[in-house]
Amino acid sequence: MRKKRIFFLLLLLFSLVGCKAETKKSMEEKEKDTVIVTMPVSSEPEAGLNPVYGWGAGEHTHEPLIQSTLFVTTNDLQIDYDLATDYSVSEDGMIWTVSIREDAFFTDGEKVTAEDVAFTYNTCKQNSSVNDFTMLHHAEAIDKETVVFYMTRPFSVWPYTMALVGIVPEHAYTSSYGENPIGSGKYILKQWDKGQQMILEANANYYGNVPAIKNVIVLFMEEEISLAAAQAGQVDVSYTSATYADISVPNYALYSVVSLDNRGINLPAQPKQEKDGILYGNDVTSDIAVRRAINLALNRESILSNILNGYASPAYSICDNTPWYQDAQVPYDLEQAKELLDNAGWTLGKDGIRSKNGVRAAFSILYPPSDSIRQGIAEEFSNNMKEIGLEVTPECVGWDTAYDLAQSQPLVWGWGAHTPMELYNIYHSQNGENARYSPYHNKAVDKYMEEALKSTDLENSYSLWKKAQWDGVTGIIQDVPWVWICNVEHLYFVKQGLTIPEQKIHPHGHGWSLLNNVDTWTWQ
Amino acid sequence: MKKRMIFLFTLLSLFAIAGYFCKDNALVTDFAHKNMSPCLAYPFGTDWLGRNLFFRTFRGISISIFIGVISASISTIIAIFLGTISAFGSKKMDAAITWFIDLMIGLPHILLLIVLSIVAGRNIKGVILGIALTHWTSLARLIRGELLQLKASIYIQVAEKLGKGKLYLFQNHMIPHILPQCITGWILLFPHTILHESSITFLGFGLKSNQPAIGILLSESMQYLVTGRWWFAVFPGCMLVFVVLLFYHLGKCLQTYYEQKSGE
Repeated sequence: MRKKRIFFLLLLLFSLVGCKAETKKSMEEKEKDTVIVTMPVSSEPEAGLNPVYGWGAGEHTHEPLIQSTLFVTTNDLQIDYDLATDYSVSEDGMIWTVSIREDAFFTDGEKVTAEDVAFTYNTCKQNSSVNDFTMLHHAEAIDKETVVFYMTRPFSVWPYTMALVGIVPEHAYTSSYGENPIGSGKYILKQWDKGQQMILEANANYYGNVPAIKNVIVLFMEEEISLAAAQAGQVDVSYTSATYADISVPNYALYSVVSLDNRGINLPAQPKQEKDGILYGNDVTSDIAVRRAINLALNRESILSNILNGYASPAYSICDNTPWYQDAQVPYDLEQAKELLDNAGWTLGKDGIRSKNGVRAAFSILYPPSDSIRQGIAEEFSNNMKEIGLEVTPECVGWDTAYDLAQSQPLVWGWGAHTPMELYNIYHSQNGENARYSPYHNKAVDKYMEEALKSTDLENSYSLWKKAQWDGVTGIIQDVPWVWICNVEHLYFVKQGLTIPEQKIHPHGHGWSLLNNVDTWTWQ
Repeated sequence: MKKRMIFLFTLLSLFAIAGYFCKDNALVTDFAHKNMSPCLAYPFGTDWLGRNLFFRTFRGISISIFIGVISASISTIIAIFLGTISAFGSKKMDAAITWFIDLMIGLPHILLLIVLSIVAGRNIKGVILGIALTHWTSLARLIRGELLQLKASIYIQVAEKLGKGKLYLFQNHMIPHILPQCITGWILLFPHTILHESSITFLGFGLKSNQPAIGILLSESMQYLVTGRWWFAVFPGCMLVFVVLLFYHLGKCLQTYYEQKSGE
């Protein structure tokens, strides 16, 4: 009797194993149109997939996937049409007229109309804290296919904003839209387990090419766990960083994407003074000779190879490789740097540190906690500066105080966005006084940027953005209010057989940008 | 027993002093020698910035001992003060203090530590304050009990009847009696303070990451363990445990020593 039982049990076990093998096989077949992608925990959108509260926009810009946008940015960051079919702008730059396509439908079957567009932008203006909409007065639909934007000031880079804002349906917009989004984009949100995963499904009624990848599963996890998931073969694309890039994972290849995700250091360009309890400016970096010397003495190549294991490219401006980039390359030249300092009156002391009129050439370099890359950059910056006689002390500060402290001390920042507005945000003065993040003011630079925004022609505005950087006489490149160090490459472990076509240059942030072209990924 | 105590004490002092000389070396970055596994030149290896983990570990230990000395001392003073008031004050005061001690024991240490450390600004001051204000409770209770017992003992009552003042009694009878308790308590606080300092620093509420505290070393190592760089965590971790054990033994030795002495 007992033997029989054991036999029966064994039989059961074998049949179970058989079942398992079978399901595994069908899983593999299914996988041909499914991808599983990991992302950092911070990439999970707090406010849901709601463009009004920053989905797709903000600091880490990416395509909203669920919704479609009026325009899109191309791989080389020019502007192209998506929902829009044509646009024009008035002579004074105050009125933008955009006509939209007629064949776009929301996933609930309703047509995308100009009213929806106007509703989206007006709602954004009222609610958005992530993106700046102060230049928009209001949007109005004049017929089913035409929407008009009335501006409060000329804003030539408006198409770049229009490339970020996903259009939401007026008839289905509720307070819980972020969790149950309805859009006209390539994908539909099928399931969202907060704190764990999001499952996206292709939109069969999409007006463009229907995505080849039907299911996208996004898992939110820490970097180490993401690596472990790749090692276990459980995911198709696993995000990683230079720290782990040298580990070889069987059946996975390292895939790197060029990015605008830069690391730079602000150099307060104004003598120290106190205002409202906050220190502004720095007596050492306020000297233009010191700033230029720092730029020359920065050994970008050694920082790249030492701290980022070579997975980065040297950066010389906040917008390298964009259509509005003015060549700002400087050589690594210690001798010239020392000469600059000598001529400016910074004399070497006995301890190897320079001083001028009793001011010691010493300052701190701040970096945020738990970011080993920025910590490394701060340390190496300090080593570089020691060689030309500047004493730089690395110091760790939390983001709660970093913004205020950076007004008087250099900080290791990360920037990089798909719009020339970033130049404006960093270098343009506020109310004619100082720039927002670090004291700097150059009237000529301000003027070029204002003109660039007033320009009615995007191509023309690019040349003005370039002039703000250098017009042959003055400009950001010469003033060096910030030094730029590197553009970090975004790294992923990609399973063999999965092909990811060329990606749009990634902005700051290591998250959703990867999925910008997920619809064109292919399995072999 | 005495020899052993002196040995332990000297060893610990050496650690504290050694760290002082590692102060500058612990911060030097050398990218030519990064991620080196332990060897003769770098007994504890180097980290991802090429910093010498041997120097960093010793510096970390000495920072921990320094924080331990100050916070354990403050804690002991608070304990003596409150214990004495509780024993000699009015009934109400005694009830209030006993209630307060119970309250403090009831609260989880680590939570209180985190709150205090954040309030004081996440730096060395915050950690010292946090530890000092949370660790006095059991010693205070012990001292209160001892003093109450003393107060009721015959020889004190006789002395009182003989007309000796309260101050005289306190100086000549009470202090000699509770001093050994205080010293032992003080030493035994060290393991706690060091462990708690490391843990809140590890959690990111303690010292800043530019200071090579043991907690920082350990939390930095987390990222790199998957890459197989075990020496980032093992040596600092072992040293921490080692020092904690040394203090514990010192405390225990002292306790036995005093017990034997009072028995003689």
